[in-house]
Amino acid sequence: MTAKQKRKIARIVTGTLNTLFKVFVGFLFLFPFYWMAITSVKPYLETLQFPPTLWPKNFTWSGYQTVFRELNIWMYIKNTIIVTGSVMVIQIFVDVPAAYAFARWKFKGSGILWLLVMAAFMVPGQLTFIAIYFMFADWGILNSLLPQILPSGASAFAIFLLRQNFKQIPEELIESARLDNASEWKIMWRLMIPMSKATVVTTLLFSFIGHWNAYFWPLVMTRDEKLKPITLAIERLKDMERGLDYTVIMAGNIILVLPVVVLFLLFSKKIIQAMAYRGMK
Amino acid sequence: MGKIVLKNICKNFGEVKVLENLDLTIEDGTFTVLVGSSGCGKTTLLRIIAGIGPATSGEIYLNDEEISDVAPGRRNIAMVFQNYAIYPNMTVKGNIEFGLKNNHVPKAERERLISEIAESVGLTELLKRKPSALSGGQRQRVALARAMVKKPEVFLMDEPLSNLDAKLRIQMRSELIELHKRLKTTFVYVTHDQVEAMSMADKIVLMEKGVIQQQGSPEEIYRNPSNVFTAQFIGTPAMNILKLPNGCHMGFRPEKALMSETAPYENCAYRTQGQVLTREMLGSETLYKVMVAHVDGSSQPVMVKMTEETIAEDRSVRIAVPEKDLYFFDREEARIRKEEKPGQYEECLRCLREVRT
Repeated sequence: MTAKQKRKIARIVTGTLNTLFKVFVGFLFLFPFYWMAITSVKPYLETLQFPPTLWPKNFTWSGYQTVFRELNIWMYIKNTIIVTGSVMVIQIFVDVPAAYAFARWKFKGSGILWLLVMAAFMVPGQLTFIAIYFMFADWGILNSLLPQILPSGASAFAIFLLRQNFKQIPEELIESARLDNASEWKIMWRLMIPMSKATVVTTLLFSFIGHWNAYFWPLVMTRDEKLKPITLAIERLKDMERGLDYTVIMAGNIILVLPVVVLFLLFSKKIIQAMAYRGMK
Repeated sequence: MGKIVLKNICKNFGEVKVLENLDLTIEDGTFTVLVGSSGCGKTTLLRIIAGIGPATSGEIYLNDEEISDVAPGRRNIAMVFQNYAIYPNMTVKGNIEFGLKNNHVPKAERERLISEIAESVGLTELLKRKPSALSGGQRQRVALARAMVKKPEVFLMDEPLSNLDAKLRIQMRSELIELHKRLKTTFVYVTHDQVEAMSMADKIVLMEKGVIQQQGSPEEIYRNPSNVFTAQFIGTPAMNILKLPNGCHMGFRPEKALMSETAPYENCAYRTQGQVLTREMLGSETLYKVMVAHVDGSSQPVMVKMTEETIAEDRSVRIAVPEKDLYFFDREEARIRKEEKPGQYEECLRCLREVRT
C-alpha cells in the first residue's frame, strides 16, 4: 500500500469516527425530545407497554385535548408571556446601558460596582428568595406578577456578556459618533446595539428560555392560582386524580417547550456568532 | 473661517507628560501637517483639537472663541480617522447622513447635501452599499464624505492614508491637495511620513517628545532647519551629520554632496576622501554609502545621492560640499546661522580648513 493510499484510509477512518461521534452526541440530546413527542401522541395503554414502542401504533390527540380541557392553559400562558416579555423589555433598558457604562466609561466606583455585578452573577436565587419574599410582602405586591418580574430586571450574566462585546468595538467609532454630535443614548441604540446584534439576541434568548421555563422562583413567589405560570400548571398534570397519565403529561410538556425550541431554531446562528470571538475589521 | 489657537496645552497620561505648555497657531485656510515619529504627541494634539481627548490644561480657540469645554459634536470640526471609523451597521448613505440627522438638518436638505458630496467624491453608485462591501480606497472616500458633508470649519485627519497601498496613497494624496484647494478650509493633517508632509503641507509643524521642534513651510524646513533633529527628520536619506573637533556638528544633505574619482573640488569648504561601500540604484538617482575620512581623524559612513551612476563599489572617491550647502550646529544641536552667530560659524569653518592644510 502506498503512502498516499494510507493517508486516504486514515482520512476516511477519522472522518467516519468524527461523524459517528457527532451522531451519538446528537442522539443523546435529541432522544428525550423525540420520546416526549411520541409519548404525547400515544394512547394511555401504549405508554405503559414493555418493551416500549419507538413509533406509536395508534395516534391520538387525547393528551392535548385533556390538557386544554382540564387546565385553564391560556391563563397560564398569558402569565408566562407577561412575565417573560416584561423581563426581556426591562433587561434591555437596564442591562444595555449598564454594560455600555461598564465597557466605555471610567467613573468613580466602577471597579467596585463591577465586582458587585460579578458577585450577583455567582449568588444563586435559592439563597436570596426568602429575603426577597419578605421584602415583597412588605411592599404588598405579592398579589401580582411583579415578584416574578422585578428580581430578574437586571441580569448580571447579560451585563457581563454585553460588556465584553461592547469592549471589542473600536473606540474610534464612538469618538467618530461623538464628533457627529450623537448623544450617548444615540450611540448606544444606533451603534452599540446594532453592532452587537448577535450578543443582544443571545442574551434575550437566554433570558426568554430562563423565564419561560422558570419553575423554582414562581413556585415560591406565587400562591394565587391566577398568577401562576405555565410551568407550574404543567407540573400539576401529574397530580391529577387519574394518576400518572404520560400521554397528558408529555402533551403538556410539548406545549411548554414548543416556543423555546422554535425560537432556538430561528436564532441558533446568532448564538454561535455571539459566543465565537469576532475580530472587527 | 477656521483659525485655531492653542495656548499652554498640557496633556498627561497618568504620570507621563505627553505635551507640556505647547503653543501653536494654525492659520485659517492652511494645510498644516503635524509630523513626527510615533509617540511624539501629534495625534494627542489632534484629539485635543477635536475634543475627543481633552487636554489636562490649556486653552483652545477657534476663530478667537474658546472651545476648550465645547463638546466634540458642537465644535464645527470634522475628523477622518486612521482606520476610517465608518459605522459598519449603516450603509454608505447612512454613514454620511448620521451627523446631519444628529444636527437636525431637514430631510430635503440632507438628500441634497448627500447627493452633492457623493458626486464630488465619486460615491454616487455606492450609496446603498454596506462598508463591508467596499474597498480600502472607497472606505476612505466614505470617511472623507462624512467629514465634508458637515461643512466644517476645520478638517482633522489622523494618518488617513496609512492603510492604503502605495499607489492609491499617492493618488489620494493629490486628491486631498485638490480638495483643500477647492474647499479652502483649514486642514490639520497628522502623519509620521515626511514625504507626505513635504508634498501636502502649506505649513509643517515638526514635533518630537511633545515639543514643537520647528514650524514653517516645507521649503523652509528643508533648507533652513533649526536643529539636528529637523535636519535629519526631513529629507531622504537623512542629512549627514558629522562631529567637529570643537564639539559642534556639521551637516550636509546627501543630494548636495559632490563626488567623483578625480575632481579636486578646490573651491569647496568641505573636502575629503573615501571609499564607496554600497550603491543603491533607485531609478532616476543612485544612492551611495561612502566611508569617509573625517576631520577628527575617524572614518564615518555618509550617504551621497547622485543622478549619475558611474562610480562602482569599492572605488576610492573624493567628496566635497560647497560652503552654501553646509550646516553647522552647536553642542546642543541647535543651528549656528552665519547671520546670527558669525563668530561660532567662522570657528566651525576654520575647523574644516585646519584639517585640510
